[in-house]
Amino acid sequence: MSETQKIGLFKYDVKNGLGLVGYNIDDHEFAHIIVDIKKCDECSHMMCVWGCPAQCYNFRDQGLEHMKFQYEDCVECGTCFILCDQGAVSWNHPRGGFGITYSHG
Amino acid sequence: MDEETDFDVIVIGAGFAGAATAFQLLKEGIEGDRILVVDRADPIGGKNMTGGILWGRELDAFKEYLGNWEMDCPGIERCINHKKVGFLNNEDALFIEGRFASWDGTGGTEEPSQRSAWSVLRAKTDAWMAEKMEEAGIFVMAGVKIDQLNIDGLEHTSYDARDLTDPSKDSGVGKAQKWKVDSLPRDVVDKIRNGTITGIVQGGEVMTCKVVVIAEGSNSILTRGYDFDTMLHAQSKDDMLLGIKEIIHLGKERIDERFNCFPGDDERPPSGMAMELALSLYREMSHEAWEKYPNTKGLYPRCGGFFYTNEETVSCGIIVQLKSLPEGLHTYDLYQAFKAQPAIAALIEGGEAIEYGSHLCPEYGLNRMPHRFTRDGAVVVGDAAGLVFANGMQIQGMNYAIHSGKLAGAAIGNCISRKDVSAKALDATYTKSLKASFIFRDLKRFKSATKFLNHPSNFTWVPELLGKTANRVFREIGEEKIPAEKVMLKTRKELRKINKANKKGMGFFGIMRLGLLTRKL
Ligand SMILES: Cc1cc2nc3c(=O)[nH]c(=O)nc-3n(C[C@H](O)[C@H](O)[C@H](O)COP(=O)(O)OP(=O)(O)OC[C@H]3O[C@@H](n4cnc5c(N)ncnc54)[C@H](O)[C@@H]3O)c2cc1C
Ligand code: SF4
Ligand code: SF4
Repeated sequence: MSETQKIGLFKYDVKNGLGLVGYNIDDHEFAHIIVDIKKCDECSHMMCVWGCPAQCYNFRDQGLEHMKFQYEDCVECGTCFILCDQGAVSWNHPRGGFGITYSHG
Repeated sequence: MDEETDFDVIVIGAGFAGAATAFQLLKEGIEGDRILVVDRADPIGGKNMTGGILWGRELDAFKEYLGNWEMDCPGIERCINHKKVGFLNNEDALFIEGRFASWDGTGGTEEPSQRSAWSVLRAKTDAWMAEKMEEAGIFVMAGVKIDQLNIDGLEHTSYDARDLTDPSKDSGVGKAQKWKVDSLPRDVVDKIRNGTITGIVQGGEVMTCKVVVIAEGSNSILTRGYDFDTMLHAQSKDDMLLGIKEIIHLGKERIDERFNCFPGDDERPPSGMAMELALSLYREMSHEAWEKYPNTKGLYPRCGGFFYTNEETVSCGIIVQLKSLPEGLHTYDLYQAFKAQPAIAALIEGGEAIEYGSHLCPEYGLNRMPHRFTRDGAVVVGDAAGLVFANGMQIQGMNYAIHSGKLAGAAIGNCISRKDVSAKALDATYTKSLKASFIFRDLKRFKSATKFLNHPSNFTWVPELLGKTANRVFREIGEEKIPAEKVMLKTRKELRKINKANKKGMGFFGIMRLGLLTRKL
């Protein structure tokens, strides 16, 4: 087994992977996900951070004191809405025609 | 029932469930220009991701619209005649592999000769089906997201669409979560939950119809918002799987060669492989995470891997049971560990990732279905209704989606002709046939399969034990030869020692219980 494959040290450059999909990003005022980041300060688990496959949630795991959420890279999977049980996530699909477009799927 | 509606039926969502409903409505004699299909993606299919293998020949029922779909649809990639299941730990991979001549469908076999499984890519498949719908005269609108249903006697402006699913400002946590909708006036809420559905609202304009079909897939905002399913229920992580996958380009020739595929001819598509795996790759990663985040100490992520050959690419991904995700582990790193497992790395060697994506898959089972499938003037089909058979390793959802769409189409055709589209009439047709169908039969019969395959041990020590035992039994490195069962016992003892948290279920009774469960598979 090569050094890079050493067990336990996997770090996926997810932003690099996301460069492969097409986005049509909507303006901020139409952001499809809105996070009440004040609630995050009290949150003990940050499950959104661990669950989000697109690294849209950046928080204590990245050494940040407050939640930083970016909807732009969202792949619209819905995981954060399910994992946040603190009532902090307002979730909907982007407006028609906006957001991610897979060309394979 | 008002005869002056804009359409007879409006279908929200042009996935397999929505498309099947629309085609079935045509077969029932509803005119194409009385059917509207809307989808939020533009082009249609652009939002959809699956594993995925389409199981079964459900689409044959729509030959008159789809023709020779198996050959003509650009998203139907390869016909599967080669199936593998396996157990992976970080070093070892143990597979059970089948190649089935009868799955080629070319005749001359003792078993019924039929092609019945295809790898699919949804973006291309769904776009093609939308084209076929249009050719058949159905109205198709792409790039339109529906936020609101129109309800008889209720102005759609009397509430904001987002209120239906947004947490309220004073929401508690966990089971004490509250939603904005609860603070709307009583009569408005009553109408939202129990009024007669008479159409959709799009960009502030109302489009009316006799029946609305909700085929919106797993992020079922409308299904939850309009109380087919409760918000709290639908937000539970117990019943959801997260799929993460990459499309990796290898080129057709390399795939044909690497996986010993039939290259395809005029009569049948190229052949290919479908593989599903129980993964135990996360022992060290979990231990590291628990140290930093002791809240979820002892929780191992339960993941299944899948690997499917498409014509030019392979679909390589994992399914994570959301309830099993510990703090401290990013889901995308779980995927990366899968890709780096030596047996998987060898299969994608030389390939180039050309797409990364992610999608939820419901795993509701019978106990967690929406509390109703119909309302006055509306039905729910496919993933939105949670009609998926998932056992942690294998998923069947597309064939169920098509089948539920067919049943809904037939029921709606019947109800419209009898001029009664009440929940009662739709229940007596749609819900009844759904409950009598193979979908519910499968879900009932394989209840314990789910239990077996969701058992934590299958994602912790079972793959480790099997892989290591096989490795030790088959190798020749100058060790003393001992019988396989002794090797297994020795390995089991070692694993129990290395990993105390992993020990659960590894005792004598645990193994007995697993054995008993397998009998019911
Ligand atoms: C990783 C993964 C692997 C899987 N593997 C398999 C497999 O191997 N075999 C199998 O059979 N199944 C598999 N499934 C399950 C399968 O993908 C689904 O069951 C199936 O796609 C459901 O079809 P559907 O038509 O109900 O929903 P979808 O295909 O999700 O379609 C829903 C459609 O509705 C549209 N929509 C949603 N909301 C709105 C709105 N408000 N307004 C307008 N349009 C809207 C969407 O754009 C989409 O086109 C897998 C799922 C996942 C996540
Ligand atoms: S789980 Fe919810 S409250 Fe916790 S950090 Fe994430 S968004 Fe904030
Ligand atoms: S919907 Fe999925 S991709 Fe988007 S922010 Fe939430 S978890 Fe991340």
